[in-house]
Amino acid sequence: MTRPTDPVGRVLYDIARGLAIAGGLMLCVLAALTAVSVTGRSLLDSPIAGDFELVAIGTGLAVFAFLPWCQLTRGNVLVDFFMTRAPVRAKTLCDLLGGLFYLAIASLLTWRMFFGALDMYNYNEVSMTINFPRWTTFPPSILMLGFLVVVVVYTVRRSYVEMRRNRYFDDASGLGS
Amino acid sequence: MDGLTVGMIGFGVLLILLAIRIPIAIAMLTVGLVGYLSIAGETALLSYLKTETYWQFTAETLSVVPLFILMGQFAAKAGLSQALFTTANTWLGQFRGGIAMAAVGGCAGFGAITGSSLATAATMGQVALPELKRYNYSGALATGALAAGGTLGILIPPSIVLIIYAVMVEANVATLFQAAFIPGILAALGYIFAIAIVVRVFPDAGPAGPKTTFMRKWRSLLEIWPVLLIFVLVMGGIYAGVFTPTEGAGVGATGTFLIAVFRGGMKWNDFVDAILSTAQTTGMIFLILLGASIFNAFLGFSQLPIFAADFFQNSGLSPFVILIGMILLYIALGLVMDSLSMILLTVPIFWPIIAGLEFPVQGEELKLWFGIITLIVVEVGLITPPVGLNVFIINAMAKDVPMIESFKGVLPFFLSDAVRVVFIVLFPTITLVLPRLLAN
Repeated sequence: MTRPTDPVGRVLYDIARGLAIAGGLMLCVLAALTAVSVTGRSLLDSPIAGDFELVAIGTGLAVFAFLPWCQLTRGNVLVDFFMTRAPVRAKTLCDLLGGLFYLAIASLLTWRMFFGALDMYNYNEVSMTINFPRWTTFPPSILMLGFLVVVVVYTVRRSYVEMRRNRYFDDASGLGS
Repeated sequence: MDGLTVGMIGFGVLLILLAIRIPIAIAMLTVGLVGYLSIAGETALLSYLKTETYWQFTAETLSVVPLFILMGQFAAKAGLSQALFTTANTWLGQFRGGIAMAAVGGCAGFGAITGSSLATAATMGQVALPELKRYNYSGALATGALAAGGTLGILIPPSIVLIIYAVMVEANVATLFQAAFIPGILAALGYIFAIAIVVRVFPDAGPAGPKTTFMRKWRSLLEIWPVLLIFVLVMGGIYAGVFTPTEGAGVGATGTFLIAVFRGGMKWNDFVDAILSTAQTTGMIFLILLGASIFNAFLGFSQLPIFAADFFQNSGLSPFVILIGMILLYIALGLVMDSLSMILLTVPIFWPIIAGLEFPVQGEELKLWFGIITLIVVEVGLITPPVGLNVFIINAMAKDVPMIESFKGVLPFFLSDAVRVVFIVLFPTITLVLPRLLAN
């Protein structure tokens, strides 16, 4: 998808893209870490302790970073079959409805995760092998979920404008790739 | 209202939401949350949601998924599809229909280092389509072979769909990858056989290419060493139990990255491209996983899966009749849905039913056998009309082939799939022999 032309869209696009790249780099680092650990284990008998825990926790952070990008670029798969021939106005109306559901859900999850963070902190929950304090990744995750809420507001508005103008912006299918 | 009724209503509402284009993850989340609320109550739901998202996204069983996606993206940037196709073409191109066979062979090779069908179809299409056109292959055969060949990306391990299935039925990913290997090779051979039959009936559809010397054939094998290296390292390591699937995926992603940089000439822009595709696919999959987890928690409360399992166990129907019914339902669902969503939606209901029936295969082996059957039949959806995604991608790349021709071209491969499913259902040994051998 190309960069949006409206100022708000451009800013959101740049942040979402930046987050997605940061998350991707994180994955690359985790892959390298695993490779080093496996090599260390087989050649020198010295693996990186609890590497799988770091990989899992890091992956979680990356996934939170990916969600806004996925939503902004229409990456969430849907069943287009029953409405392939429906007018654009009907399709965009459904997209708007889906966006509103997502908005409610993302807001709910963000709100609850805040309390999840408090629980993790208060009970001092740590991972099993390397005692990694679990609350530490909550603040950035909640921030990224909050940003997702903003992005969903934007896509809801985008669907609304598309419905009014009776055409899709940018990507004609609305199916994403 | 009892839980069972709520469960059935929930399922009905989910289907309606899917029909009106609500993204699959959002539909599952919406129904799952409302259903959970109505059965378990507000306090339970709010407490459950405090950490559910976190636990889903940081699950140690799932961290293998993004790494395999990343590995596939780097593999696509490494220029390996060109090498694979050229090598296969050196060996097969001189036969009638040989260039299409080479495309299938290339897909099989690429499938051994990637877990995605669409990526396999797309990258192989880029290198094979011009060659097929140059030798006047019919549009139907060219696009059909590539669209079907693309499914080898998932049928031959590693396979993202198979990992998700493994998590859902609590099976061992490594053993499932072992089980998928022989059926995957049979799929490739079946497609090559289908091409041989097509060109026998319609000789003009796939003329023979130029002959190559024996020396060149052997030398061409040198070109594909990176693929062999990655496959032996990653899948060999997983099969032999040297490392876990997650570790294998980490090693594979690092390896394909290095190959993409040093052999494929991957620049910063290509790298960002690979990362952004990974981000989109990973985000999409994990949101569906979260939706499925909440939806399935709700289904569990509603007791619908237990009820369904009891119902079929006492129905007096032969287990095989029920299995065939499921296969037909998968093919029907595949007409409108993607494979991953189908698995997430059906396996929580289907697996308890299957597990409660008397099959010649039992226990862990039943998980493997049913998993491979399911994998094949959900992949068929990628090449059947009206929304065969692989066919769409290849058809769009070919530019001058009418869509109807492409779907006609897929037919022989569909029949090949059907024959394979019958064999795998009738002879569980095909699936189970490799895991049994490697267990010793």
